Amino acid sequence: MANIIYKQSQVKPATCNLLLYSPIAILLIVSFISCSGRSIINTQQVVASRITQELPREDPSSPLWNQAMEHPARLLLQDVAEPKLTEPGVELVRVRALHDGKWVVFRLQWEDKSQSIIPEPGAGSDSAAIQFPEKPGADVPDAAMGEKGKGVRIWYWKSIWQDDLERAQQGKGDRIAALYPQATTDHYPFNANSAAKAEMENRYAPARAAGNPITVRPANSPVQVLMAEGFGNVSPAPVQEGAGRGLWRDGQWVVTIARPISPGPGMDTLEIGRKSYIAFAVWDGAAGHTGSRKMRSGWIPLMLEGQ
Amino acid sequence: MARVNNWQIGRTMSYWYSESRPKRQFGAVFDINKCIACQTCTLACKTTWTSGRGQEYMLWNNVETKPFGSYPLGWDVQLLEKLGPQTWEGNVYTGRTIFEAAPSGERLLTTIRTSIDYAHPNIGEDEIFGSVERGEALKLPQQMWMFYLARICNHCTYPACLAACPRSSIYKRPEDGIVVLDQSRCRGYQECVNACPYGKVYFNPATGTSEKCIACYPKIEQGIQPQCFVNCIGKIRLQGWINTPDKAQEDNPVDYLVHVRKMALPLYPQFGLEPNVYYVPPINVPDRFLIQMFGPQAPAAVQAYRNAKEDKVLQGLFALFGSTERTIPYFKIAGDYAIALDDNRREMMRVPIYEPVHIRPAVDRLYQIMRSNTT
Repeated sequence: MANIIYKQSQVKPATCNLLLYSPIAILLIVSFISCSGRSIINTQQVVASRITQELPREDPSSPLWNQAMEHPARLLLQDVAEPKLTEPGVELVRVRALHDGKWVVFRLQWEDKSQSIIPEPGAGSDSAAIQFPEKPGADVPDAAMGEKGKGVRIWYWKSIWQDDLERAQQGKGDRIAALYPQATTDHYPFNANSAAKAEMENRYAPARAAGNPITVRPANSPVQVLMAEGFGNVSPAPVQEGAGRGLWRDGQWVVTIARPISPGPGMDTLEIGRKSYIAFAVWDGAAGHTGSRKMRSGWIPLMLEGQ
Repeated sequence: MARVNNWQIGRTMSYWYSESRPKRQFGAVFDINKCIACQTCTLACKTTWTSGRGQEYMLWNNVETKPFGSYPLGWDVQLLEKLGPQTWEGNVYTGRTIFEAAPSGERLLTTIRTSIDYAHPNIGEDEIFGSVERGEALKLPQQMWMFYLARICNHCTYPACLAACPRSSIYKRPEDGIVVLDQSRCRGYQECVNACPYGKVYFNPATGTSEKCIACYPKIEQGIQPQCFVNCIGKIRLQGWINTPDKAQEDNPVDYLVHVRKMALPLYPQFGLEPNVYYVPPINVPDRFLIQMFGPQAPAAVQAYRNAKEDKVLQGLFALFGSTERTIPYFKIAGDYAIALDDNRREMMRVPIYEPVHIRPAVDRLYQIMRSNTT
């Protein structure tokens, strides 16, 4: 396993010396440590290194990521609740994390040969999520979306939401124009009535008219914050503070997902220097992964380093 | 999985949820023999509900030519093949429903639909079963056959879309059994799109949610039939309410045609959804095909329809199709009139069972011209 990760890694660890002088860190790093331009692998836990520079919340290719250790998170089929995923998708996501005392940002990297962004019949949107127990402590909820009375909080990045933002910023067309660039349409009824255009357009988009949270998300963020107490009841969290950005290149997604360390009422709080837990999930849109059809991890220990 | 009663297949079956029937169930009868595929129903629906961005290929109502037409592409034949042998012993279905055929890890047997399945709404349209050889068109009965199948959501008693949704975003309205998809809750997983064996749930790429026929429930709530019913120029449709066979009422028009006369049959009852749009099967189609599509009672239904011209009640009831925009909960025959009754069995309107026939001389003496028969 370590060899595979070693081959894929391209980062140089700036924290090498620091870790060598830390007996605790040495114990935790069981795979290997390299000081010759190779990554530091920590198979036991996700460690968020503290940095003083501005966090690369929306920059998956920042050199600051070289300061973070990498955790290879093995993903499992979601085979707990129907509909299950029966054919394996992404089996490994390489995770790095950084924090500045206020926010923590995770960088997820996985192989996906086919970039799938705009959902259409038969295809979903490439996506990733990080999940935390609602309450601190060792008595963690079920890693599969939590359970009744023991909820989870989720930061969910979706490539289509990022694409929506980028198309809007670049003045490009909507999803339909992007999905079917050659399409022509003769008439939409709302185009004939300039006075009532917006209202009519909304009426013919019932999810928008109904205020569906997936159509009404925080501005300028491709990340939605969710809460759940088991399968089938995921809903928007009371605090919608999240950020992130994904880059797809050469058959790989590299995605940042950032969250506040203390998001506020109704949310979980991470404590610096104290063990907590995190879980990951990845959806391969081209394979039709949506909802519960996903690859996911169990709980993985998470440590936010102190000074 | 729970065990539920499905009277259309004559037995109990497995379903994701336990049996819970609404106070009354939306029901409809389509007389296939009268449909000319003018698509007025399709346009009536489209202009009312699905004229938005992302709804371009969304047809809550469509009319397709059987045996080769299908929208979405191959919606029925794909699933029929996956389902395996569909056998009946009498009126009891001995094959597997899509719930009973669910693969491991799935709630039911699905058909994965992709964009290409929606790209050809007109495929197979107006094509007949085979090629017409020289002179064959003159033979009777016709050697080659086709028919038009008008389709909407069947507002099933056991909806596959509802069973498939992991978020319970789809529900049956307890007051009328109409199956609706909560647009504020859907997250666009498309499980329902792949689950509905009739292909009647559509994904909207613009909003990222799935959408489906709502049986024009704002109209139903006012006692008015849906758009695709009242705009049907062939008057093939009647909307009312369907009871289970043990509670069938003779003066309920849907019950009468479905339960009493057994002339109106569900579409692919073997799928196991207990669909609530009932079809008077076409009379020009081989029995084997009809049995596959409408179940083992199809040949008898065809025969009953052929004899309908001798039957005043049937003639009267069919005359009520498309004769009023009001929902027809009850009806009665009085003399030469068929009378539509409301929920309190008060008369709403009446139609003559037989249209008066006027025979006019071929020559119009007044204007000194020959009359031509153009109607």
